[in-house]
Amino acid sequence: MLEIRGLEAAYGDVRVLSSVSLTVGPGEIVALLGPNGAGKSTLLGCVAGLVRPRAGSVSWEGEDLRKTSPHLIVERGIAMVPEGRRLFASMTVEDNLDLGAFSARARAARRQSLERVLTLFPDLAARRRQLVGALSGGQQQMVAVGRALMASPRLLMLDEPSLGIAPQLVRAILDALVEINRAGVAVFLVEQNVRAALTLAHRAYILEGGRVAGEGRAAALLEDAHVRRAYLGPLAVRP
Amino acid sequence: MCGAPTWAPSRCARDAGAAMTLIAQQILLGLLLGGLYGLAAAGLSLVFGVLKVLNVAHGELIMLGGYGAFWLFALLGWDPFASLLVVIPGALLLGAVLYLLLFGFVVRAHEEIRIKNSLLVGFGLALSLHALAVRLWTADDRSITTSYGGAVISLGDLAIPLIRLLSLAIALALIGGLHLLLARWRWGKAIRAAAEDWQAALLTGIDVRRAYLLAFAIGTALAGAAGTLVSVGYSISPSIGLEWTLKALIVVVLAGLGSMLGTFAAGLLVGVAEAVSATIFGGPYREVVGLIIFFVVLVLRPQGLFGRSTR
Amino acid sequence: MRAWTLAILLALALLTPLPLLVAREDVINFVLLVLLSITLAQSWNIIAGYAGQVNLGHAAFFGLGALTTRTLWIGGVPVLLALGAGAAVAVVFALLVGGAAFRLRGAYFAIGTLALGEILRTTVSNALPEISTLPEGSIAGYRLAQRYYLALVLAALSVVVVATLAGSRLGLGMQAVREDEGAAEASGVAALGLKLRALALSTGLAGAAGGLFAYYHISYYPSHPFGPQWTFEALLMTYIGGVGTLHGPVLGAVLYVFLKEYLTVRWVDFHLLIFGVLFIAIVLIFPGGLVQAAEGAHRWLTRRRGRRR
Repeated sequence: MLEIRGLEAAYGDVRVLSSVSLTVGPGEIVALLGPNGAGKSTLLGCVAGLVRPRAGSVSWEGEDLRKTSPHLIVERGIAMVPEGRRLFASMTVEDNLDLGAFSARARAARRQSLERVLTLFPDLAARRRQLVGALSGGQQQMVAVGRALMASPRLLMLDEPSLGIAPQLVRAILDALVEINRAGVAVFLVEQNVRAALTLAHRAYILEGGRVAGEGRAAALLEDAHVRRAYLGPLAVRP
Repeated sequence: MCGAPTWAPSRCARDAGAAMTLIAQQILLGLLLGGLYGLAAAGLSLVFGVLKVLNVAHGELIMLGGYGAFWLFALLGWDPFASLLVVIPGALLLGAVLYLLLFGFVVRAHEEIRIKNSLLVGFGLALSLHALAVRLWTADDRSITTSYGGAVISLGDLAIPLIRLLSLAIALALIGGLHLLLARWRWGKAIRAAAEDWQAALLTGIDVRRAYLLAFAIGTALAGAAGTLVSVGYSISPSIGLEWTLKALIVVVLAGLGSMLGTFAAGLLVGVAEAVSATIFGGPYREVVGLIIFFVVLVLRPQGLFGRSTR
Repeated sequence: MRAWTLAILLALALLTPLPLLVAREDVINFVLLVLLSITLAQSWNIIAGYAGQVNLGHAAFFGLGALTTRTLWIGGVPVLLALGAGAAVAVVFALLVGGAAFRLRGAYFAIGTLALGEILRTTVSNALPEISTLPEGSIAGYRLAQRYYLALVLAALSVVVVATLAGSRLGLGMQAVREDEGAAEASGVAALGLKLRALALSTGLAGAAGGLFAYYHISYYPSHPFGPQWTFEALLMTYIGGVGTLHGPVLGAVLYVFLKEYLTVRWVDFHLLIFGVLFIAIVLIFPGGLVQAAEGAHRWLTRRRGRRR
């Protein structure tokens, strides 16, 4: 269970997050929505250990994560799929996936994890030996998600997984997330594609200007007037 | 030669043949030396590629490796090739210590400051190590002469010094080993991942600090090995540090980052190029040609010094 | 900084009558060495401190100045003219090659200049392997005092140049370049032009210092002033004193020469070991050098005094 309370973050003098509080319960899919620059990536960064918050707390299963190194956070059970995938382009699909299981805990379950990933993304099985640099955007995203899954996480975080990917593949990835969640992994998702995110998630938060501007059950938010106007209206991103 | 008034065809051919042999011999020797250049450069390349740290004390580490082998030989009678078994682990340890005490702090800054600081720290380290070496061992040249030191393998008209041939073989083996290490070993892949994208590596669960430590230690070990081979095939003194740092830099600039085998090949190339220029311009200027090529390539490479093959 | 400039110039002025007061040549030689070091350190300081570039081939300009001055002076040209020519040659070389070198950034500039320095040293060492000695007549007419006054003037000049530089728009522009090359470029500061001007001043001073070296020494190997140790010494003195400040290099030079002369007795290169370690400490802990440490101590002391009240 992820609990964030009163989180404050800044880059130099620029305040990025102000008093952000949210939770992700076990087995939930929670979406984080909001315009560009609202601080969504920074929030994920704080949880993953890449960004040090100025104030507030981030606790995972009761433990404070703020002073923990990113690689140890993976050990604790949180894995992140960063924006833009950030795969190791000079290495093969197999190597990227293998590195995903680097932490001690994940190593033990390596074989099963790999099987699960390849079942989830059959496309990758045929391309195991290929360099990831040669794959399409959608396939790379699958590798990125797979790499995070190899860490045997209890919470999977994704930063804009649908960005720059062909619609059919987006569908496949979102379906995969449902599967993953069904297996007991909580999902915390930052997504530009609001409609798809709200269809997928149980709950959602809306971040605007570094503050939580709204929250609630996904179904309810889909109907909400402000949400419809700001994010689902004619100028909003279409699924 | 052949344009002399008393033109005797057979003598002309013989003179030409002798000249050819001379050039071939020089190229061969250049190749043998180039293998050590490649080994020296590999360590520097690894450290710079992974940690983004420019350790200009790399030459001094080579020098220390050479002295390690020399004293094992002078005091204990150890064959220098055997002493590699001690020098390499010793250098690994030294590298780990240097990382923990010095360079580990340098890597905390972001890339541009990191490179500059590492340059300065490396400079201070080089100066200190040099002064220490002069104090401990005097400024004299040292060389290891073994019983089989003069042995030569004849290949037609060419004479291949056995020791230098063995050194080339060992250098090649070490580079090959390093390549395999980086390709197959779990931590080798972690090192490559950290080199490419350290944040993504952290997110994958890799302890990047530990990967850095390993890379630096391995780089130092390679330097130590190179130093040992230099001490037996050539000679060492406290002053070879700067010379070898420059040589390593020249090779790395030509090869770019990313491939250990490519770096080794570039080392061979530099060795041969030096030999050829020595034949054309005369011995004393062989150093200059290498440095000029270095400077020109440095300035002309549009990606800055090291063109990344990835991203 | 105005205060420091005046203080240093005053100190230099006070040193003017030294040859008249002291008969011992070794004292005069020592002070001369300090003055030469100050000039060299300040010349390096211009590029490093104010323009943010680490020039590891500085000895090349020192050497070129020495070579030119020596050749012309022995050939009969009046020494001051020869000195000027030496500085000019250094500047011309710098501008010719500097344009290319300055396309490099940060560490790449450093190793590029390192290679450059070595290229010159090796070439001169091969082209002029024999020792250069003054002809009989010059040795007979050698006056140490003349060399001393020249050193004094050069040291004062270097301090004035740096002082003017730091205050002028040129200086501020260069400081911007030091702080952030990318941003400086974006804000319209013609980084390259500034860098070249800094290069000219820096190398001109270094060349003049080289000329002094050539005028001062009776015999030496022509490649000696091209040796990397001159660069390294300038670097050490400036950094340890406080790079980018006016008085830092002066302090560093005095300290360095002092330690070098007094430690040489027992352990030849001991001063290098000390300075090497000190240098590392400064890079990692006190980037501002002794000047920063002194200011920090001063602040800490005044704070304590305040609290007691």
